[in-house]
Amino acid sequence: MLCRLAMDPPGSKPGGDDSAAAPARETRYMVPVDGRPDCAGLIRATCRMAEAGGAPWIGVHLDGPRPLMSSRDDERRLADNLRLAEELGADLIRLQPLTRNLARELLALARTHQVTHLVVGRGGPGWRTRLTGSLLEELVQGDLELVIHVVPARPSAEPPPPAPAPPEALDLVGLAIAIGFVVLATGVGFLVFHYLGLADVIMLYMLCITAAATQLGRWPTLAASVLSILTLDFCFIEPRYSFVLTDIQHTGTFAMMLGVGWVILGLAERIRAQTRLAQNQERHTRTLYRLGKVLAEGGSVAAIQQRVVPFLRQELDLPVALLLCDAKGQLPVPAGPGLRLEAEELEIARTVMARGVPVGHGTESYTQSPCLMLPMPGTERPLGVLGLWFTPGAGAMPASRLDLLIPLASQIALALERASLAEDRTIARIQAEHERLRNSLLSSISHDLRTPLGTITGATTTLLNPGPQSAPGDPKVLLGTILQESRRLLRMVNNLLDITKLESGLVQAKKEWAAVEEVVGSALSHLEEQLGSRPVSVELPEIWVPMDPVLMEQALINLLDNAIKFSPAGSAIEVRGWAEGGQFLLSVADAGPGLPPGEEELIFEKLYRGTGRPVTPGAGLGLAICKGIAQAHGGSITARTRPQGGAQIVIALPMDGISPELNPDYHS
Amino acid sequence: MLPEQPLVLIVEDDSQLMQYLTTTLRSHGFNVAEATTWEEGKSMALGLAPDVVLLDLGLPDGDGLSLARELRAVSRVPIIVVSARGREEDKVLALDMGADDYITKPFGSSELLARIRVALRHAADLTAPAATVVAVGSLRMDFASREVTLEHKPVRLTKNEFDLLAVLMRHAGQVITNRQLLQEVWGDTAKAHATYVRVYMRSLRKKLEADPTRPRLLLTELGIGYRLKPDLDED
Repeated sequence: MLCRLAMDPPGSKPGGDDSAAAPARETRYMVPVDGRPDCAGLIRATCRMAEAGGAPWIGVHLDGPRPLMSSRDDERRLADNLRLAEELGADLIRLQPLTRNLARELLALARTHQVTHLVVGRGGPGWRTRLTGSLLEELVQGDLELVIHVVPARPSAEPPPPAPAPPEALDLVGLAIAIGFVVLATGVGFLVFHYLGLADVIMLYMLCITAAATQLGRWPTLAASVLSILTLDFCFIEPRYSFVLTDIQHTGTFAMMLGVGWVILGLAERIRAQTRLAQNQERHTRTLYRLGKVLAEGGSVAAIQQRVVPFLRQELDLPVALLLCDAKGQLPVPAGPGLRLEAEELEIARTVMARGVPVGHGTESYTQSPCLMLPMPGTERPLGVLGLWFTPGAGAMPASRLDLLIPLASQIALALERASLAEDRTIARIQAEHERLRNSLLSSISHDLRTPLGTITGATTTLLNPGPQSAPGDPKVLLGTILQESRRLLRMVNNLLDITKLESGLVQAKKEWAAVEEVVGSALSHLEEQLGSRPVSVELPEIWVPMDPVLMEQALINLLDNAIKFSPAGSAIEVRGWAEGGQFLLSVADAGPGLPPGEEELIFEKLYRGTGRPVTPGAGLGLAICKGIAQAHGGSITARTRPQGGAQIVIALPMDGISPELNPDYHS
Repeated sequence: MLPEQPLVLIVEDDSQLMQYLTTTLRSHGFNVAEATTWEEGKSMALGLAPDVVLLDLGLPDGDGLSLARELRAVSRVPIIVVSARGREEDKVLALDMGADDYITKPFGSSELLARIRVALRHAADLTAPAATVVAVGSLRMDFASREVTLEHKPVRLTKNEFDLLAVLMRHAGQVITNRQLLQEVWGDTAKAHATYVRVYMRSLRKKLEADPTRPRLLLTELGIGYRLKPDLDED
């Protein structure tokens, strides 16, 4: 069934395999795609061969002018074949050929795309076979190292398209103009006949036929030709004013006139078709380009949907709807006020989803419906359908329109899929991060809570049940332990509640003009016991700062607590505040070892305990709380190791608004 | 002046906390009455005429705040509110509604006893004729001559500063909310602003405190109000 015609390039070893002939070249198949019935079989055969070898393949359509005989069926088949090739995984190339020599064009393309295998059809019986035959010969004569596969014609089993194309409508204006041309030529002919001669009059009529052929179209040209011959015969050829022909040579003239008219008409039609094609393609390209720009803005699925629908509505001048599948791959039944699908439209949408081809207006099924639905294919499952509503009675949609709409829908699908994948990824990442944090929080909490509880329980049972050797001072030691552990437990529970509240956004800074020394003083008094006899130097300006005093006190307690924990007992702690650049900066510094380089940011992360430090129970939330409080104020927090040693943590709060100015002796 | 064995009514639903409270208070010479619900609390407060009420705001069958309001409407018994940390609004509300003081869970016994003593003393002061001279530690205030001395040295205060300090001195040891201070000093809480209190407190501290960031006298209860440090050694 498959003829293989291996062409050995001159100079290569006879019988040499194609891989041996050109070891560096990767196998690549190419198949010409056109509107012939057997082309679909050709495409499938190429796909099979390419897939068997794991090679890429290219579908080429040489977008020449349609032959005069080309029908709407051909155009439709061409669109189908192109789509088929694309769906089967071909790289599609559409080209305007430079010459009419198909073989040369194909060979040139094969060279530029480094094709190793070309698949062509042998064609069926009839004149096309002869054409194909010559194509094959020319290809074989090409100098390219190319394996050519000839696949016998196998018209695909596609159903014959139902409705015959409607006949071209009679162009009455064109006919009138054609008649006008002939009348004009006759008038001028009468004026010049006496001075010049019959040949010039004939040329006049030729001019009028040429004008009709180039400007007016098929029927006006035919009318102009026939009318020209009749008037010429009647008015100028002897015997004049009768249709009788005495001289047989004039029949030749008439035939030439008809022939020239026909040839020029053919040329003109071809040019017109080419222009139309070029304009169409240009429009398609522009539309796709603009769509590309709209899609390139990115964003969420909803954002893309919101941009694309108005764009398409404007671009196509049709009502448009994007129906997207839900998470289960089911088409939702839209019931909003903007869009209501009729039962038939819903059925069309389901058919499109099931079959993956356009259905509705201008296609083979549901042709009578005003609605056309296009598939939006995704990599795993269809994403949904694109629906268009044509005005009823506006006539059939040209097949070229479908050529535009299908890639349009695919492009939108691609963008939507990308957006939805990105969304999925973000959600997954957030969930994973959430999960990780929750797990480490849980394990850390269970450890940090159980340890002091264990100590308390243990100490209490010893107190209730003292051993026979217990010293008289033991109870006091144990009671001290219980008290200390209870306080630790309390601090941890408080921290846990604080961070939870801060993270859930329940906490909002209730800013008021606060006296900084009041807040600092209150924080210091809370830590009196931990501070003991440590020297604390406080340096604060006498200013008013907008802050939530309760929250800031909490932050300060945590900062001071941190400084106490990470510096040697008895070493000094410095609290300083100053205004700078529209901010109030509050710093707590210790005389400890400072921060390991690179951890200045990390210490504000939840559950971060530092690498080079001894593991201190209860740590890990305090600084994260400070960060949350600074952020709740619209401020920030930074940490550094001071040049003179010791860690310094600075909270910066914005100082907006006007501080209170009161007459110190204000009397009501 | 203080009752021999003051009766403390505890309105608290948690049995462990109740046990701790009764044990501690009894060991320090108090009589204790226990109520575990809102209803019980109300009837016992009215029927037993306790010297002080310790009221938990989180009761199972009713809002502690409303109980404080109802009690205050019919009695001058000192009410100390027991509440959790982070419920500053509740505390302010309870104080403005007539509670005398608050204590935050968890608390130690010395803190609890100090609060109860302050409340009892304040209640006793109310029945006695108003003194013209009040002294807290080395701070002395003469209401008649409007003179203030600190460690026997006169301190010059403006009218507002004096009035502010006077309120705190009369309620020494008790927390006074910003709103109460505004009401007492400026009279008109609608016009005045909590910032006024802070402005005058700053100037007062400058005159009375050695280190305003480590106050020994004028303590701040952030988010609630101020408290003049009581001089409990006098008792």
